Amino acid sequence: MSAPEPARLLRAAVVPKQAAPRLDVYPLTGRSGFRAVGEVILPTRDTWERALERVVREAEDVGGEDVYYLELSAVTFVDVAGAGALADTAKSLEGRRRLVLDRPPDSLSRILGLLWPGLSGIEVSAS
Amino acid sequence: MSTATHPVEPFVHPALFYADIDQYLAGTVSFIRAGLAAGEPVAVAVPGENLALIQDALGADGDSVRFLDMRDAGRNPGRIIPGVLRAFADQQAPGRRVRIIGEPIWAGRSPDEYPACAQHEALINAAFQGREVTILCPYDTSRLDERVLADAHATHPVVIPAGSAAEVVSAAYDPDGVVDRYNLPLPPAPGAGPEVFGTAFAEDSLSAVRRLATDHGARLGLTGTALENLALITAELTTNSVVHGGGAGTLTVWPQDGYVLCEVRDKGRLADPLAGRRPPAREQRGGRGLLLVNLLSDLVRVHTGPEGTTIRSYLGR
Repeated sequence: MSAPEPARLLRAAVVPKQAAPRLDVYPLTGRSGFRAVGEVILPTRDTWERALERVVREAEDVGGEDVYYLELSAVTFVDVAGAGALADTAKSLEGRRRLVLDRPPDSLSRILGLLWPGLSGIEVSAS
Repeated sequence: MSTATHPVEPFVHPALFYADIDQYLAGTVSFIRAGLAAGEPVAVAVPGENLALIQDALGADGDSVRFLDMRDAGRNPGRIIPGVLRAFADQQAPGRRVRIIGEPIWAGRSPDEYPACAQHEALINAAFQGREVTILCPYDTSRLDERVLADAHATHPVVIPAGSAAEVVSAAYDPDGVVDRYNLPLPPAPGAGPEVFGTAFAEDSLSAVRRLATDHGARLGLTGTALENLALITAELTTNSVVHGGGAGTLTVWPQDGYVLCEVRDKGRLADPLAGRRPPAREQRGGRGLLLVNLLSDLVRVHTGPEGTTIRSYLGR
């Protein structure tokens, strides 16, 4: 990374150039769920919410309790709105499906605990 | 306002002025004992040394009281309503008055902290309007300056003068005036220097800006959870600017005293003074970004007006 430039110059509306942030979602093989790669922030929020909507839709087709894995070890960051979409998903599943977060970024578990205390239907797995 | 047409406000918010330990204990312990005798849930959030005084005086009677050191739980005044007061009051079964002693202002509060403290005391009134809650706020008249004591008369509808047991109506009560008066322009962030990182941002640079800000925080000595907090705070403040503040803004990160400061300026106006201080309703979708900033920061200062909004978060190194 280059040395930071003086704020005075950058205030003239210079914005750092970089590749667009990405979020890619792949179905897991051998168990229900998806693996996400990238970061969950405003520009990738639609991708994240679409993947979570699919979890709710598919839950309507399965009977009995079912587990859905979100493999998040390659997710580098989740913002509050992304955590909120996850909390909403857990609520709309109403216990029909348990969400297991597999190796989420540390900050995600912290955000959920601080802003959605007592939320049920989401478990964290470190393995 | 006529009491014939308006029901009596159930929220009670007295300031308790005290000049010495005896007056402090007389006012606080009687308040706690009255609550316990009525079967009301009681919490005490005061600076640690005062907490110890109250605990000693209560002895075993304090077993059912929730005690919190306000120097920790309320270091950031913007955290006190959602993280201390509402956190306790909302846990209690409805139908019974909740009693809380909250002492957010002590002699060691810094000039940077004080405006946020005064705004917090003013905003308690709006945050608890209509609730069966009493929040008693002790003020140390021997150590706090005149301006602070005058502000307490403006942020509390009733006051208990030092050495007295009786509440008197405060003629100076004007909480909105206090919120406005302490909506102060913040001194400019340093413009340049090796310890300053500043940049403009928009939606397509949110990711890069968060990473650059976090890298800079690490260079300034933040590690572990504090560094993670800087990333979260940067993300929420910059995203708020993109969504609500005109689509863009400027970010500055720099060290000051023992803190790393993270400031975001944009062209938006923050219309709701309670933004980030209310635990959102369970079904509410958004609106938790500023709440997280308040919960994670050691201090948050806000200035908002027609020219735009500046939010400055302090993180201890």
